[in-house]
Amino acid sequence: MNMPPVATESEWLEKRIDLLKKEKELTRQTDRLNAERRRLPMVKVEKSYIFDSPEGKKSLLDLFEGRHQLVIYHFMYGPDWKEGCPGCTGFINEIGNLDLLAQRDTTFAMVARAPVSILQAWAQKHGWNWTWVSSGENDFNYDYHVSFREGEEATYNYAPRGRTDEGEGPGISVFFRDDEDNVYHTYSNFARGGEHATDSYSLLDLTPYGRQEDFEDSPEGWPQKPTYG
Amino acid sequence: MIKPPVASESEWRAQRVELLAEEKELTKHKDRVNAQRRRLPMVEVTKEYLFDSAQGKRSLKDLFEGKHQLIVYHFMFDPEWDEGCMGCTGFVDALGDLSMLGERDTTFTLISRAPLSKLLAYAAKRGWDRPWVSSFESDFNYDYHVTLDEKVAPVEHNYVRAKEMKGSNGLEGENHGMSVFFCDGDEVYHTYSSYSRGVEGVTDSYSLLDLTPYGRQEDFEDSPAGWPQKPTYG
Repeated sequence: MNMPPVATESEWLEKRIDLLKKEKELTRQTDRLNAERRRLPMVKVEKSYIFDSPEGKKSLLDLFEGRHQLVIYHFMYGPDWKEGCPGCTGFINEIGNLDLLAQRDTTFAMVARAPVSILQAWAQKHGWNWTWVSSGENDFNYDYHVSFREGEEATYNYAPRGRTDEGEGPGISVFFRDDEDNVYHTYSNFARGGEHATDSYSLLDLTPYGRQEDFEDSPEGWPQKPTYG
Repeated sequence: MIKPPVASESEWRAQRVELLAEEKELTKHKDRVNAQRRRLPMVEVTKEYLFDSAQGKRSLKDLFEGKHQLIVYHFMFDPEWDEGCMGCTGFVDALGDLSMLGERDTTFTLISRAPLSKLLAYAAKRGWDRPWVSSFESDFNYDYHVTLDEKVAPVEHNYVRAKEMKGSNGLEGENHGMSVFFCDGDEVYHTYSSYSRGVEGVTDSYSLLDLTPYGRQEDFEDSPAGWPQKPTYG
């Protein structure tokens, strides 16, 4: 079978320490980038968005639940879809306890375009109790570049989307509320920007075989499936 | 209140796009480091370790449950303690559904030195059903450098030996870490261990807070003056 070469303890240690240096460099690069993110400006949200929730209509301000920071996962669920996106479903399944967010003045919520009754059914099927509201009656998903109208020249991940069919894309957006209840958009990411919250990927990254997806540069013969497949 | 500066949409976008270029570079950098990890050799485990589990004695090979890869989280729980380490507890709480690991030939388990009865009681209290075995009375924790005791094994932490370290006096007792093993037939191999900040990428709350203006709100972070901050890991 395909497996890593066997080495002596001291041969292994030499290579492990070489990798450790690069891991530390990566951690520091991540810290620097996170520091830069904390210095982004923010843009006031002037439009009023009203979402459908199981408890009735909610504004974007309501979604903060009194906290100052709001992290929104843009869950791909079109109004006509029979099921939620499997990738987004996996992402949410992989989220564990997020109590630390609330302890740090931050609320997590999911937003999708499907009607709230459909969202509730999908959440129940998966045993989720995260806040999940519908943006089906507003422009929220279009304004934050995660839903696309037929024939529209849209952008995704800050670049031309390159296609004009109807569709949904994954993303995470962050909003800030000041003490006067003004709401600001601070950040959005798309595509691979959200994948680090997936525990299985983070853990598989530590194994010899990695994620076992074909985007990876792995030794010849390593087990691989289609990426995100 | 302390808050990020307000900008116009186009000013914000210019800075966001600049950050995106660096985010993409970071993702590629991470891909390269991961690729190097997949090319590490591995070392045969020649010592026999026996663990206490709810199903009785288990060997290291048993812990693979028939898969080829095993990820061990070294959960800090000293035999004298009545409760597990708070940081490790947060780490395990933050784990979600890991069924993708099984689909990719990989098993995940927790290992601690406290006797099994303490582990089971603590898991029940926290509502965890992850596999968790006790390495009580085995050398496992010492050999993989997560229990440090000069009397049992030469002390090292995160690949630095105690004698090469400044101020290594506090280096005793339990440490957290992650180790990976590979199984081929009857042979078990050690492929990887990481310690210290090497495991924090798995904590969802940190990953999500990293996206917010305030970040993790810990004092190791380089943040604008006045940002809310607590002691790191505090």
